[in-house]
Amino acid sequence: MRVLNQQAPLKQEKHRWFLDPKWLIIIAIVGFLLVFQVFPLVYLVFRAFFSTGTFSLEAFKRVYTYPLNWSALTNTVVAATFSMIFGVLIAFPLAWLVGRTNLYGKKFFRTLFVATYMVPPYVGAMAWMRLLNPTVGSMNMFLQKIFNLGSAPFDIYTMGGLIWVLTGFYYPYAFITISRAMEKMDPSLEEASRISGASPLTTLRTITLPMMLPSIVAAALLVFVAAGSCYGIPSIIGVPGQIHTVTTRIIDFVYIGSQEGLTDATTLAVFLMLIANVVLYLSTFSIGKKQYITVSGKSTRPNIVDLGRWRIPITALVIIFALVVVIIPFVTVALSSITVNLGESVFAEGNITWRYWERIFTRKSIINSARNSLVSAVMAATFGLLVSCMMAYLLVRTNIKGKKIPDFMITVGSGTPSVVIALSLIMSMSGKFGINIYNTLTIMVIAYMIKYMMMGMRTVVSALTQISPSLEEASQISGASWLRSMKNVTLPLIAPALVAGWFLIFMPCFYELTMSTLLYSTNTKTLGYELYTYQTYHNQQTASALATAILFTVFGINWLLNKLTDGEFSI
Amino acid sequence: MKKLFMVLCVLVIASTLVFAAGSAEKPKAADGGLSGKLVIYTSMYDDVIEAIDETLEKVFPTIDIEFFYGGTGTLQAKIAAEVAAGKLGCDMLMVADPSYALELKAMGVLQPIMINNAADLAFDYDKEGYWYPVRISNMVLAYNPGKFSKADIPNSFYDFAYDKRVEGMISMSNPLTSGTALDTISALKDKYGYEYFTALGQQKVKIESGSVALTKLETGECKVIMILEESVLQKREMDRSKIEVIYPTDGTIVVPSPIMSINDQWSPNKNSAAAKAVTEWFMSEEGQKNIVKAWMHSVSSKYPTPPYDAIPTKEILKNTIPVDWQATVTLREELRTKFQEAVAKK
Amino acid sequence: MSNIIIKDVKKAFGEVVVLSQFNAEFADGEFITLLGPSGCGKTTMLRMLAGFEKPTEGEIYIGDQDVSSPKNFVPPERRDIGMVFQSYAVWPHMTVYENVAYPLKMKKMGKQEIKKHVEEVLETVHLSQYAQRIPSQLSGGQQQRVALARALVAKPRLLLLDEPLSNLDAKLRDSMRFEIKEIQKQLGITVVYVTHDQMEAMTMSDRVIVINKGVIQQVGAPTEIYRHPANQFVADFVGKINFLKATSKDKVLTLAQSGQTLPYEGPLKGDVVIGIRPENIRLVSIKGDFEGTLVSKFYLGDVNDCRIDLGGELIRVIAEPTTFDVCEVGQSFNLRIDEFTVFEDTGEDEHTKILT
Repeated sequence: MRVLNQQAPLKQEKHRWFLDPKWLIIIAIVGFLLVFQVFPLVYLVFRAFFSTGTFSLEAFKRVYTYPLNWSALTNTVVAATFSMIFGVLIAFPLAWLVGRTNLYGKKFFRTLFVATYMVPPYVGAMAWMRLLNPTVGSMNMFLQKIFNLGSAPFDIYTMGGLIWVLTGFYYPYAFITISRAMEKMDPSLEEASRISGASPLTTLRTITLPMMLPSIVAAALLVFVAAGSCYGIPSIIGVPGQIHTVTTRIIDFVYIGSQEGLTDATTLAVFLMLIANVVLYLSTFSIGKKQYITVSGKSTRPNIVDLGRWRIPITALVIIFALVVVIIPFVTVALSSITVNLGESVFAEGNITWRYWERIFTRKSIINSARNSLVSAVMAATFGLLVSCMMAYLLVRTNIKGKKIPDFMITVGSGTPSVVIALSLIMSMSGKFGINIYNTLTIMVIAYMIKYMMMGMRTVVSALTQISPSLEEASQISGASWLRSMKNVTLPLIAPALVAGWFLIFMPCFYELTMSTLLYSTNTKTLGYELYTYQTYHNQQTASALATAILFTVFGINWLLNKLTDGEFSI
Repeated sequence: MKKLFMVLCVLVIASTLVFAAGSAEKPKAADGGLSGKLVIYTSMYDDVIEAIDETLEKVFPTIDIEFFYGGTGTLQAKIAAEVAAGKLGCDMLMVADPSYALELKAMGVLQPIMINNAADLAFDYDKEGYWYPVRISNMVLAYNPGKFSKADIPNSFYDFAYDKRVEGMISMSNPLTSGTALDTISALKDKYGYEYFTALGQQKVKIESGSVALTKLETGECKVIMILEESVLQKREMDRSKIEVIYPTDGTIVVPSPIMSINDQWSPNKNSAAAKAVTEWFMSEEGQKNIVKAWMHSVSSKYPTPPYDAIPTKEILKNTIPVDWQATVTLREELRTKFQEAVAKK
Repeated sequence: MSNIIIKDVKKAFGEVVVLSQFNAEFADGEFITLLGPSGCGKTTMLRMLAGFEKPTEGEIYIGDQDVSSPKNFVPPERRDIGMVFQSYAVWPHMTVYENVAYPLKMKKMGKQEIKKHVEEVLETVHLSQYAQRIPSQLSGGQQQRVALARALVAKPRLLLLDEPLSNLDAKLRDSMRFEIKEIQKQLGITVVYVTHDQMEAMTMSDRVIVINKGVIQQVGAPTEIYRHPANQFVADFVGKINFLKATSKDKVLTLAQSGQTLPYEGPLKGDVVIGIRPENIRLVSIKGDFEGTLVSKFYLGDVNDCRIDLGGELIRVIAEPTTFDVCEVGQSFNLRIDEFTVFEDTGEDEHTKILT
């Protein structure tokens, strides 16, 4: 009996090897990633060491002994580290207040903080430049007035300013990760501590915090990599103040245009990739194993901590935070878009205009860019979701041996800094190795997919995990084919997740800047790059109008989906 | 739920298709003999391009002219990459930096075009017809009289770097991306030596594009900026801005920006007939009128009217800091690197 | 150890009233069970005792201390209570020892003393050899005992148990039931136990409080609840029962369908419902109260589960195992009713539909 049992599947397995479409799917996905992700990245590293044809550390020596590069390296590490620390220091209390206390307006704040996640980070840089420049920043002036200061209290064009803006736009990453984990935590773990004699604060310190630690570390690393590989913010805030980061240096080097510049960019990119990969390894493969979060069988409503007499002061504090970090910057950008002379008040006579708004809807180049962004984001999201669905099915529903390989590759892809992906694609996909897709939208779509596909995949995977396979089996037993069962049972159940996954890929692609900056060509300029050129080159008011339009679109889509899916769509 | 999902999908895809279809339209070949596509890389600002593009559409209704803008440095990087890949993306170039024309000519990618009114030019041009100056951009200083008095700020390039009263409140363009800025630092290096760069660094100069700098003048964030005259003039005319040009006492830096065409071997559309027609139009009185309307000075001695609110070209030419174009080509890397090292924060 | 007084407690979440007019008094050392279907409000009552929820109205006293009233509210950590959660809530980032020591640490007890107490209580719950394990290395039953040890270690004046056995398998549940009862007797602690399992309630409690839809249905000792249910809901929720519609007139109950009769001494008149537990009906050959025909029978080993048609009413009878061999379907029997309860007929059938 035993012998029989062992042999039967073996035979089947052999048979399957040739026919099973699952293998074809894996091979197709792995093939795609090998060609467009692994090979370019490997070639990038290779180029850094073999820039002259033979192995040499010359390029490394030159790049890393150059003081400007050193300062860029240290700037990057310092900025990312502090953004990470502050990001978590802000995100954890906020997540706790919103998720576990009787703070006023929790739901609103939650939506607000989550929504900032969808905002292009460079919009923040544009706003803060206006608010906190050392000479006439409106917030600086305001503070100067009410506190009667002799000089402006803040200077945005400093490392501190850079960290501030990075933190303000990357803390939502930590907020979302931490609140999700907090929601999943069985509330009776905290109640058990309370009943054991611990005060709410002691409970927070001895139970909640240590339990959340893996998620907090994961969140922190997420912020670190995001802040460290950001281009928009340091190029708008840092560069005018001569604070270079690795990303801005890499793009500078590419812009220098010489072969040497390209080699230098490559060499710096290897550094960035190394940091990101180490961090990725730490967060996914070592800390991931220590996940404590357990979903309790029958969870009661979470124990809401009564803030008591602190309720109003703390709510006020959160309101101030939301005002300063979210609302004022957005309003600033929106107002800039209708102001002729930014040196005067918006409401000064004749200072309001719709000319910049008119411009963004009539300028040929802006419309073209919007179309390019729409097309490439739709394609990236659609193909990305397709791959996500296949991957999700493989990961959750099958036991195929190689299924972890593409999963691993997709994870690595999303953890690789955008600038590195783009650079590696430029170098390997411009015809040198038989594929020439440089200057096309295809290269854009591929880059977007590599970077953002994982968000979709995770969403679909977690949705599919929650659907018991017995639901599909029940349909099959009722006489429906596998395909029909998928269509009638599985698809409707994971539909909200599919919509969410699609938009999670679509949104960041729609306003993507960093990769587009390197990959654009005459006819493939994207909205993010267009906005960036307007901000730094042509006209800041037009850039503000464009940014405001993007904000409205992003919030609008988010709101619409939330309404249409009865709140099932949320990130 | 499912229906809704479908509807959403259809909507998104449909809108994408509509957009895509819009772009696929191509103008039909016309009877004038000129047709096809013409891509022009340029470093002019989008307001200027928009105005010129509209005029060109009227003049050459049968040619599909497409402008692609970027700083000269950005375009140089792009062209370098394209040359490495074996094909350029443009049929014509209207970058700011004349020295780049010398380099491109040497690389052998340019198409000579002979025009009949070359004798009217007030500036140097390539005698073989590889490039002509088409517009004059002047690097000047600018300030906001609404916020500061002219007496309290530097009136020369020298003081711009050495007058401590404006420390941290000055701004200029990035020679890495801007051609005129590269020419400017090349000229200033010749006049004041590399120490000038160091002084700029110690003066905490902000490095950003002209339009950003202008905004900073308006808000008062900067006291004085190094900028192209045309940007200020445009702002004065279009936004009724009070910002004023200072023609530096130690000389204006005059940049006669070239127009060039790419030869058939390298150009994507191989449309040299159209390129010739467009070049001739730009060099004609009509073309120059449009250049002046776009706040730049004319290169033609036959067209002496200065742009809106500017002083006559002749006046400017009386006091200039000369640029050694050939040296700018050969020293380009060095100039950029030294400049960056000098102004970057350590 | 102390008595508990719950006075006019009411709890509403927004508009929804989950508990109305709860009045009860628990004696020192008593084992009280709150029994009811899920959603009846029993867990809410327990959480109010613990201090996780604030009553909308009313007062709660633990050992004469006012812990919850309109003018006073003592948070859970200062109530001196032990509690075992349904999900155990054993902290996964601490060892068994650390978990159990936690309440003592909160009391700022010395290290040596903590050690002594923890070892003692681990001995009580038979976990001494697991002290240094982390919870994920323990079975469900062992985790459950960690939770119990943690709840007991600080010698609280009150122990709250929230369906502690519902996640265990049947065998383990049996032995844990016994163990909990033993420990309670040993320590003489007051216990409030929440469950929807009537078996647990019957076997462990001194007194049971049956709750439905936020209203107390009956308070009493297990036997009282079982033998003299206050209403149809209690009768039906606790144990099995047949409900027969009948009319009461002149000390005789007449069944609505078949017209068979039963003598009755009680006070109710008019339309009534008779409740008869299946085990209180005996199949006899002569001198029965009712006559009926066997419709079906199932052999259960220790008993036979039979359905008998009274001529309109179908009733369930738990008969001796020997009946399986002797009786045939279709055969007629005399039925003797040993014990029954009569309820007023409210015309509602809702109470028989139990939500679980």
